[in-house]
Amino acid sequence: MTLSNKRIVMGGEGGQGVQAAADILAQAAYEEGKEALYIPNFGIEQRGGVSLAFVQVGEEPIGSPKFKYAHLIVALSGRSLERLQGYINEESIILYDSSLLAPPQVSDEVIGWQCYDTIAPEAFAERRLTDQRQSFPEITSKVKHIYGLPASEMAQNKLHPRVANIIILGATAGVMEIVQLESTKKALETRLENKLKRDPALKNLNFRALELGWEAAARMIKRPVSTGKI
Amino acid sequence: MINQPVTQEEKLLTRSLEGEKRAFMYGNEVVVWAALAAGAEFLFGYPITPQNEVMHYWSRLAPRYGRGFLQTEDELSAGFAVLGGIMAGARCFSATAGPGTVLFQEPLSMAEMMRIPMVLVVQQRGGPSTATVIYSQQEVFLTIFGGNGEGLRVVYSPGSHQEMYDLTIKAFATAWEYRFPTLVLGDGYQAKMREPVTLYDPREKGIDLKPTFPMVGLKGVPGVDREPAHWRNAFSVEEELYEVLKPIIDDFHRAAPSLSEKEEGFLEGVELIVVAHGIVGRSVRSAVRELREKDIPVGFFRPITLRPFPDKDIKNVLTACSRLLVVESAQGQLAKLIRIAIGGELEHSLKMYTYFRPGLGITAEEVVQEARAILNGEREKDASVALL
Repeated sequence: MTLSNKRIVMGGEGGQGVQAAADILAQAAYEEGKEALYIPNFGIEQRGGVSLAFVQVGEEPIGSPKFKYAHLIVALSGRSLERLQGYINEESIILYDSSLLAPPQVSDEVIGWQCYDTIAPEAFAERRLTDQRQSFPEITSKVKHIYGLPASEMAQNKLHPRVANIIILGATAGVMEIVQLESTKKALETRLENKLKRDPALKNLNFRALELGWEAAARMIKRPVSTGKI
Repeated sequence: MINQPVTQEEKLLTRSLEGEKRAFMYGNEVVVWAALAAGAEFLFGYPITPQNEVMHYWSRLAPRYGRGFLQTEDELSAGFAVLGGIMAGARCFSATAGPGTVLFQEPLSMAEMMRIPMVLVVQQRGGPSTATVIYSQQEVFLTIFGGNGEGLRVVYSPGSHQEMYDLTIKAFATAWEYRFPTLVLGDGYQAKMREPVTLYDPREKGIDLKPTFPMVGLKGVPGVDREPAHWRNAFSVEEELYEVLKPIIDDFHRAAPSLSEKEEGFLEGVELIVVAHGIVGRSVRSAVRELREKDIPVGFFRPITLRPFPDKDIKNVLTACSRLLVVESAQGQLAKLIRIAIGGELEHSLKMYTYFRPGLGITAEEVVQEARAILNGEREKDASVALL
């Protein structure tokens, strides 16, 4: 039954590359021989505004293309996380770009209110002088885990600003092991075939971004994160 | 590209579709591959979301396979150009949505009158009027009864990319065999989502795609060498129209039993039948599977043809279980079709519950919740259904 399938919803501002990331994720699952479905949330706007993408992956036949609750919520902006609220339940994992969003305030039933941040894998967070990040929207449901990954900063400092979404994709794939790194690379090559043909250097750049995200996810999931109500 | 002559050899099915090919693609892409595989030669169309990519993909692929494309000034022109192309002997089709489907009614009804095998793919968007470019199931009545006339059309409602491929090919086969306009009623979700599909050459599967032939411009002297090619859609006397129309209606009703299709499941010991079509049928199938795993006696019925409706089949199912839940992304268009199909026989014993979300997607979770509520006696039978 469909409940064993993984449901992922990704959100960001138009132009952040949410649709491309979601599309490649679904393609990777397809390349692994899994059931896979991707659908964008599309309206009349071409650019700007919040962009959402829905992906389902698993062994069971997939029912409706959209769903009520997601196992994994990936947010690249504060506004998008507000829109993603409705897809959160107690089983949800939230992955967000911590270079764009300030860490959430967590109300822990035992400890009480506290601020926590998942330590940035590359300790980028400490280097930040002034914090211009958007505040983390209030989440009204309990969640399983919240992981912050400074993808935009990692992209800017290590690779290229444009591959932030691919770092997030690597982390999205890795954080629940939805698909393997190798199939994600293969899917990326399939979906970006024409772009990669025009500029072969893009391939290594994107692969490196995927690896960065994947490795960061591997480190994140080793560390248990508190599950309080935010 | 359009001026390039189409050779006979090129008209034959594209070589790249030999054997089976698995692919992960958008629904609009699936439509194009199906049309190519079915040997469609020309698409006349006018852009409208969410079917635009049918035209994008077609215009990109068509030259490679020696097929043609023309964007007309509106949907009326597109529809009549399709009819003209078919009368000239080419396998033509189009795709549209929402307000475009409204404009297609005139050519569609001409196709009914003149028995022109037109194929039209509709990717439903929200209505009435411009509404949303996203999704709905609100074009059911429009595709069936939208024209002036008797709704002498075949309407398929696919629920997956595989069915989108299968039924689009079948639409060409049906249209050319029975010579009624044939529609594939998709929706914005199916148009814009990506999922796996297996492409194949219909001829390898033994699907009979009847040859095309010109209806006009024939050789020889009319009345001497051959019958006159006299295709009419205008009549001066009532009796004359009736004389021509009656056999067409009879043909349609004769063909109906062999055209209607459905899917049903989990009917053993069933206490509630959930009925849905198209993409909503998927949500229902998942929901019913989930409920059955918890030993909750729910089954489902999904009409694959909305016209002709599988009325005998649904009557059989509802004779065994008179409690049904109709789920649709419209305000009772499917529910009305069910009412018409079952007629007066089951009317009094029937307990119809409804879950209508016009222009809104429906998830399996919602169907599970609704079905449970009905079985727990928390829902009133929808008395208003008769007055939809």
